[in-house]
Amino acid sequence: MFLYLKLAIRNLLRNKRRTFIAGSAIGIGLAALICTDALILGMEENMIASATESFLGEGQIHRRGFRESYEVDKTIVDPQGILERLRNDKLVDRAAPRVITYAMINSPANLAAVSMIGIDPEAERYLSQVDEALVEGEYFAGDDPHDIVIGQKLADILEVHLGSRVVMTAAQARSGDLSQEMYRISGIFHFNIKEMDRATVFVRLSQARKMLGLGDDIHEIALTLHDREPGLNSDDPFWGRYSDDENEAISWSGLLPELKTALELSQFSTFIIGLILFGVVALGIINTLFMSMHERQFEFGVLRAIGTRPFIMARLILFEAGALAALSIIMGNITGLIVTYITSKTGIDYTGIEFSGVTFRELLYPILEVKQFIVYPLAVFIFTILIGLYPAFSAARLSPVKAMRRSL
Amino acid sequence: MSGDSTSELIMARGIKKVYDDDGVPVEAIRGIDLVIERGEFTAIVGPSGSGKTTFLNIISGLDTPTEGEIRLAGRRLTEMSAKELSDFRRDKIGFIFQAYNLIPVLSVEENIEYIMLLQGVSKTDRRQRVERILAELGLEGYANRLPIKLSGGQQQRVAVARAMVSGPSLILADEPTANLDSKTGIELLEMMRELNEKKGMTFVFSTHDMKIMERARRLVTLKDGRVDSDETKE
Repeated sequence: MFLYLKLAIRNLLRNKRRTFIAGSAIGIGLAALICTDALILGMEENMIASATESFLGEGQIHRRGFRESYEVDKTIVDPQGILERLRNDKLVDRAAPRVITYAMINSPANLAAVSMIGIDPEAERYLSQVDEALVEGEYFAGDDPHDIVIGQKLADILEVHLGSRVVMTAAQARSGDLSQEMYRISGIFHFNIKEMDRATVFVRLSQARKMLGLGDDIHEIALTLHDREPGLNSDDPFWGRYSDDENEAISWSGLLPELKTALELSQFSTFIIGLILFGVVALGIINTLFMSMHERQFEFGVLRAIGTRPFIMARLILFEAGALAALSIIMGNITGLIVTYITSKTGIDYTGIEFSGVTFRELLYPILEVKQFIVYPLAVFIFTILIGLYPAFSAARLSPVKAMRRSL
Repeated sequence: MSGDSTSELIMARGIKKVYDDDGVPVEAIRGIDLVIERGEFTAIVGPSGSGKTTFLNIISGLDTPTEGEIRLAGRRLTEMSAKELSDFRRDKIGFIFQAYNLIPVLSVEENIEYIMLLQGVSKTDRRQRVERILAELGLEGYANRLPIKLSGGQQQRVAVARAMVSGPSLILADEPTANLDSKTGIELLEMMRELNEKKGMTFVFSTHDMKIMERARRLVTLKDGRVDSDETKE
C-alpha cells in the first residue's frame, strides 16, 4: 500500500507545473466554496441582524388580526400578565411594549402619513437600535411628554429640524374620534431603511396611550431571545406558549416570510455555486489524470504486462487522484482561510443595499466555521475520487499490447 | 492437463494472428508450431515484420492468437480471464524490454521489489531477495538510485533483476540489447546465459544482432510469419 502511495505522489511530482496548476484550480474552487459559504453565512447573519436588531425584535406578540388591519382597538389581551411571564421566561432576553397606529404629521411646511409608535425608551434601548440610529438630538432625554423622534427623510419632507414643532393627528380607540397633540422634535434618526426613515415617528409609550385613549393597553410586545433557533422557526413551541384565541406570538421568520425565503434562496445559491465549482474541479481532475495517463501510456502497458491486475491499475490512478485532492485541499484550505479571515476582519461594505426587503445597515463580515474546513474539503476529496473512477477504469481496461505498441 | 511437471514449457500449435489495419486484414503470423523446453536459451530471430514481437506477445499472454493453441507451463492461455492472465504473467513470466522500461519514479530497489509486492511477499523477504539479486548482478550500491541516474547497461541489469527476482518459469526479452552498445550487449547476454546455466531459467529473446545470435543455444528464425528454420547448437 505504501509503495502505491509513494508511486502516486511521485507520479504527480513528475510534472510539477501541471500538478501545481491542476492543484491550484481545484484549490481555488475549494477556496471559493469556503469563501462563498462564509460570505453567505455573514450575509444571513447581517440580514437577520438588520431585520431584527433595528426594531423588529426576534419575535412579536399582538392581538389576533392587528397585523392585518392595524386597528387601534385591537390591543393585546392581558398585556401586563404576558409581560410578567416574559420577564420570568428563561428563553427571553428582553421584551418591550409598544403602541402603534397610523397617524398624520403636520409641520408648517408640509404633512405626511406615518406610523406613530409609542415606545418605552428604557426597554427599547436594549431591544432595538432607535437610540443608536440617532444622527441629531437626543433619545428621549429628560421627561418631556411632547418629545418626538422622527426619521431624517421625513424631516426633509416636513422641512423641520431639532426643536421644530409638529402636530400629530390620530384616531382614538373605541370612539374613533380624532386626537391631536403638538410635539417638539427632540431627535432625528437615520436607519438607512427607507420605510423607517421617511414614515416612522417615535413618541413615549405613555403619551401615545393617552393620545389614543388606550389606558394601560398596548398593541405589540417585541422581544429578543437568548437562543436564535425559535426565531428561525415559526413553529417552535416557544411561540405556542404565548399564543391563544386572543393573542398571537410570531417569530421574525413568520413576520418576515420574504426574509426567510431569501435565506433559503441563499442556501440554494450556495448549493448551485458549489455544483458549478465542483463541475470546474471535475474537469480539472479529469484533464490532469488523462493527460498524465496519456503521457504514461507505455509505462502503464509495462505495468500491466509484468502482472499488475486491472484492479490495481485502477487503484494506482485513484491514489493519484487522492494525492492530487490532498494537495488541492491543502492549497484551498489555506487560501480560503486567508481570504475569509482577512475579509471577516475588514468587512465588506454592502451598507444601504436592500435585499428582500432588508437593508444592510452594517458592514458584512464573512463568518468562518470549522465545518467549512472539514465538510467542503471532504466533499472535494470524495468528489475527486469519484471523478477519478473514470480514468481509473480506463487504465484498468488498458490493453498492454496496445499500450506498448513499440515493444513486447 | 498439467504440463507443469513435464519438460515442455511452451507449446504453440497452429498459431495465426491477423490484425485489422483500418479494415485491411494483415497476417502477422501465418501458422507457427513450436515447443520450447524448460531451461532453454532460445533466440527468436528474423527481419522486421517477420512476426517476432507478435509471437512473443502471444506466448506471454499479452495478445491472443486469431487461431491456434498456446500452452505455457501446462496452462492454456486463451482460456484465462484478464485477472488470471495478470497473475499468471506476474508469477510465471519475467519481462525484459528493449527500452528497459523501469518505473522512472521508483528507485532500483523499489523497481525490483514491485512484482514481489504484487505477489504479496513480506517486506523482510522482499528486502532480502532484492539485496541478493543486486549482489548477483553486480548492482550493489545502486539500490536507492533512480533509473535515470544509471547507464543503459545498468538499467537493463536492473530490468533483468526485476524479471528474475520472483523466480519465474520463463524470461521473455524483446530485443534486450538493442539500446546497448555492442560490448555492454554481449556482457548482458553473457550474464543472462550464466543465469540460465546456473539457475536453469528458461530464456526466450528476440534479436537481430548477429553477435547475440551466436550466443544463443537454439535459434528459431521467423520469416513472413512462419518458422523458417529451427537450429539447436551443441
